[in-house]
Amino acid sequence: MAGNTSKTIVVAGGSLAGHTVVAELDRRGFTGEVVWVRGPEGVAPYSRPALSKELIQGKVTPDGIRLPAQEYGLRLRIADRAVCARLDPDADRVLVTRETEAGGESSDGEWIPFDALFVCTGMRARVPQGFAGLPGVHCLRTLADAERIKERLAGRPRTVVVGAGLIGSEMAASLRSCGLPVELVVQGRLPMEPVFGAELGRFCLDRHRAHGVTTRLLTTVTGLSADGPDGPAVLTFDDGGETTADLVVLGLGAVTACDWLDGSGLDLSDGLGCDEALRTARPNIFAAGDVANWRHPLFGRRMRVEHWSNASAQARHAVESWQAGQQGREPPAFADVPYFWSDQYGLKYQMVGHARDHDEVHVETAGAGGHPFVTYFRKGRVVAAAGVNAPRAVMRMKARIQSEGMTTEGAYAT
Amino acid sequence: MKLTVDRNLCDGNGVCMGIAPEVFDIDDDLTLHIVDEIPDDPAIHAQVRQSVTSCPVLALTLEE
Ligand SMILES: Cc1cc2nc3c(=O)[nH]c(=O)nc-3n(C[C@H](O)[C@H](O)[C@H](O)COP(=O)(O)OP(=O)(O)OC[C@H]3O[C@@H](n4cnc5c(N)ncnc54)[C@H](O)[C@@H]3O)c2cc1C
Ligand code: SF4
Repeated sequence: MAGNTSKTIVVAGGSLAGHTVVAELDRRGFTGEVVWVRGPEGVAPYSRPALSKELIQGKVTPDGIRLPAQEYGLRLRIADRAVCARLDPDADRVLVTRETEAGGESSDGEWIPFDALFVCTGMRARVPQGFAGLPGVHCLRTLADAERIKERLAGRPRTVVVGAGLIGSEMAASLRSCGLPVELVVQGRLPMEPVFGAELGRFCLDRHRAHGVTTRLLTTVTGLSADGPDGPAVLTFDDGGETTADLVVLGLGAVTACDWLDGSGLDLSDGLGCDEALRTARPNIFAAGDVANWRHPLFGRRMRVEHWSNASAQARHAVESWQAGQQGREPPAFADVPYFWSDQYGLKYQMVGHARDHDEVHVETAGAGGHPFVTYFRKGRVVAAAGVNAPRAVMRMKARIQSEGMTTEGAYAT
Repeated sequence: MKLTVDRNLCDGNGVCMGIAPEVFDIDDDLTLHIVDEIPDDPAIHAQVRQSVTSCPVLALTLEE
């Protein structure tokens, strides 16, 4: 990349997407300066998926989940415990201030001018007002969250997990696998039903029950308080019920971390809005990972994908889009078929595609365990598939959705 | 390119297989298999590098 030496690129976000953007810029021979603003956590990038799995279960230490540090040819300036606090789009500069996870002072800051900006600020846990700061009540998004939860486990706490999405369901399984008494509060009819649908939701519920998790279905937490300065926490429910817990894990989803772009004029209706090539309305500002909302060319709709593989694939792609622009080429569309997995009680749940608005499902069994394998259709076409311990069957579907989608423009559009 | 997997770490989550299906395969026991000869194709080499950095449990090691 000749002629790049005097350029400055700012990468906002210190997790998988940001890490991959930096590595990809380096791999492509960018020789300018990269200012990598890694956010409030103050730790080197690590594997978030391991938090609710291997780390909670004590199978790895924090050092064992750090993403590999690399030697870079580009000039790299790392700003830890620092955040992008504001974007001045007309002057192509960002204000970088110091901030810690504890919400510390963001007193003085530095405006950093950029030739390109990659927004990889991801998400933070959604914690309803009034639920924060109570003894023994924790969300799970960061390594610090996981370590706080882990500290409590030695006391063999009675545990309540609120919310049965991917993280709630996985945490209930991991904590139960540690031998703790666990109660799982499910807002809907079945755990993970919004993700997987009824069939795998039922399967997941049966697994929780078979492992001795108490489940409260169709229940919403209406109040959370502490009975004394060290707990226990008292939870009240919309059906009038009540329970106490030494440890409460909130699995209530996450919100995109793009409030720092307020007032920038960029589309912030759900994450940071991009075109098919992951460019925002500003041609030198790109997004990747959980924060990026883009129009998926195969599914013909806007989406955000909150999964690991997507963050690394989009990061690479955003760099390709930037380089295409530099070279006067038309940047390609990002068309990867979404993929994620979840580990619960030694079973591997995997899903590919985008099941939203499916109008038909086929349920069969696949894999050695004979567990349910679900194929989701829209207008007669396969749009998603999910299975348990059936990686080959799931990955075959990924290839099929990708290739059938590529040969028909907007194949899965509504 | 010499690619190895630490079987004590790999949990068969399929991230690498999703990125480089010509190189990785996972059977229904969740055991990872790597092809004997990585195809001599720059696109596949790029996928392999990406798999190594994306493995969520850092089970893959690459010597180029
Ligand atoms: C407990 C848990 C388990 C998971 N398990 C799985 C799984 O099994 N499978 C799967 O596919 N996915 C899983 N995921 C999802 C996966 O981890 C995410 O998709 C992935 O981390 C997204 O990466 P990202 O870089 O886009 O964003 P994030 O990981 O959210 O990182 C955002 C980064 O930006 C920083 N930041 C925030 N604001 C600013 C700012 N203003 N300026 C600078 N930096 C900022 C943050 O500190 C952080 O470093 C899991 C997530 C969690 C929390
Ligand atoms: S990405 Fe890593 S853990 Fe997952 S299957 Fe591949 S080598 Fe194993």
